[in-house]
Amino acid sequence: MIEFVAAAIRIATPLLFAALGGILSERAGVFAVGLEGMMLAGAFAATLGAWASGGAGAGVLMALLGGAAIGLAVAVVAVRYRADNMVTGLTANILALGLTSYLLRVAGGGRPIAIHLAPLAAWPVPGLADIPVIGPLLFSLPPLTYLAVFGCLALTLFLGRTQAGLTLRATGENPEAVFASGGDPLRVRMLAVAACGAIAGLGGAVLSLQQVGTFTDGMTGGRGYLALASLIVGRWTPWGAAAACLVFGAAEAFELRLQSFGVPVSSYIVQMAPYLIALAVLAGLGRSSSLPAAIGRPLQR
Amino acid sequence: MSEPASSPPIAATRRGARPPRWLQLALAGLAGRILLAVLLSMLCAAALIALSGHDPLAAFAAMAVGAVGSAHQIGAALNRTTPYLLAGSGVAMCFRAGIINIGAEGQIAVGGIGAAATALAWPGGSPTLAVIAALLGGAVAGAAWAAAATAIHLGRRVHEVLATLLLNFVALLLVQQVLAGPLGQFGAGFLQSPLLPRSAWLTRLEGFDAHAGFLIAVVAAAGLSFALWRTRFGFALRVAGSSRPATAYAGFSLPRLTWGVMLLSGALAGLAGGIEVLGVHHRLIEGFSLGFGFKAVTVALLGALEPLAVAPASLFVGLLEAGSLSMQRQIGVPSALVSVIEGLTMFFVLVATARRP
Repeated sequence: MIEFVAAAIRIATPLLFAALGGILSERAGVFAVGLEGMMLAGAFAATLGAWASGGAGAGVLMALLGGAAIGLAVAVVAVRYRADNMVTGLTANILALGLTSYLLRVAGGGRPIAIHLAPLAAWPVPGLADIPVIGPLLFSLPPLTYLAVFGCLALTLFLGRTQAGLTLRATGENPEAVFASGGDPLRVRMLAVAACGAIAGLGGAVLSLQQVGTFTDGMTGGRGYLALASLIVGRWTPWGAAAACLVFGAAEAFELRLQSFGVPVSSYIVQMAPYLIALAVLAGLGRSSSLPAAIGRPLQR
Repeated sequence: MSEPASSPPIAATRRGARPPRWLQLALAGLAGRILLAVLLSMLCAAALIALSGHDPLAAFAAMAVGAVGSAHQIGAALNRTTPYLLAGSGVAMCFRAGIINIGAEGQIAVGGIGAAATALAWPGGSPTLAVIAALLGGAVAGAAWAAAATAIHLGRRVHEVLATLLLNFVALLLVQQVLAGPLGQFGAGFLQSPLLPRSAWLTRLEGFDAHAGFLIAVVAAAGLSFALWRTRFGFALRVAGSSRPATAYAGFSLPRLTWGVMLLSGALAGLAGGIEVLGVHHRLIEGFSLGFGFKAVTVALLGALEPLAVAPASLFVGLLEAGSLSMQRQIGVPSALVSVIEGLTMFFVLVATARRP
């Protein structure tokens, strides 16, 4: 049971980072379809950074930069040039996939360069980690997992309790009002999408630095889209998205367990569930409350 | 960044229905901008090749030889082009109407299921009938998948991009599911269907390795272009893309229009999936359509949403991909460069065709 919950948390962590970034982007009014590419760029940059410098800190920093670079590209094309958000996001994904595979081979002189890093070790919290059951589950986690929980808290406070957060939400709901009150909705959207890239890049770093210890082609494997589904299911709130990520993580962990016991359950049907649930949530919402009103609508000054 | 604040927030009002001469001039300008975007992305690719320590010109030359060096290779490139052209011209029709359908990926996948299932279940007899039935099966399956997205979009007012995007993943998993179950070949080691009966294979063009699907795609693109510019339906599409209020004022029903164009593009994408199964693999294979939907959007935009112009756009992408492997083999430049070129081209085209105030 403990292993099962631990597996769910492990699967949910990279999703949660990407979902948090996506919330920033979508609450500011830009569809976050580029999460997959941002994660992938982050995972790649983190691996190269940690390998070149020998330190995980540099890797995490590079993940932020790598993700933000893709975010910035999306921001310029989708916000400044008012291209369709979805198409821009998909383009970012294909570009990130190609660029990381290409550069991985350039770095290795024709073949994919072989990098093996020790996955980040758990940081037990002194005292709390010794509590039975809860200790190993919640207080003996790798560093980026703590950061994800902290990110949830920080994003909730940012969106709900700060002036900048209010402006960001207003940009997603009614950009003209932001403009009328002296704000600059284009700038807000650009910054939000770039920040989304940086945070989603951290999600990639979780995969490459904390869980696998290397980078492989397309290693995010659709997790960016899963994160998109989870932020929809979580109705564009950080804690809601976190809950959705955990549910999706639990579903995957559950399926792995069942298979190892030889129970005939179709993994494909289980994998469909997140997307079907996201569709059901969207269908239930209609165009009502939670989806930011001005999402996907291009702006100009 | 100095655009007048007075213009309306959505500057899509001046596209679409125009007097012909005006349009030709505008298209000429647009074509120039798109060509410039392609050129720019090739320059970036050259820089990336130089970064890998190889000669860009030699790499491009190897790519060209790999793509059109022999009849066999031209055939392979045409086979690559076919699904992009079919699905891309359907996507172009949707985008014309302002409906952002990015569900081609899923519709192609489901089309492959439909074609393979029909071909396996067909009692035999005349090869022509078997092929037609299987292709119809693919088109119907693709249209059905598009219908699901449309029903969710119109019925529950879900943004069409989210409905089509999310259904893509369900469709890709559905392919794996049917291959693990009813359509799968037992003991193959990986997910694939049994080989389809020979009578359901698409005929190959004499002298080339290309299958007849390419001809179907070209005819379809020409038909769509005619429909877009010469029929009431096409006019309604262009009006809908220009202005939603004008659509209602002109007496066109937006839901009916949406149904029509979504079913059309779904059927085309499904047909593309069917052709890929019947013409290239002769069986349904896991991931046979991976990335096709995205490329359909790429070529639609690269072709400025004009079905006839989507043909050279898809040929460009098809040639790039067909030539990339020989570039990797002969010069040592990783073939992943093609994805980079496609991504960069899209970014530049999006900027070049940006809606101007």
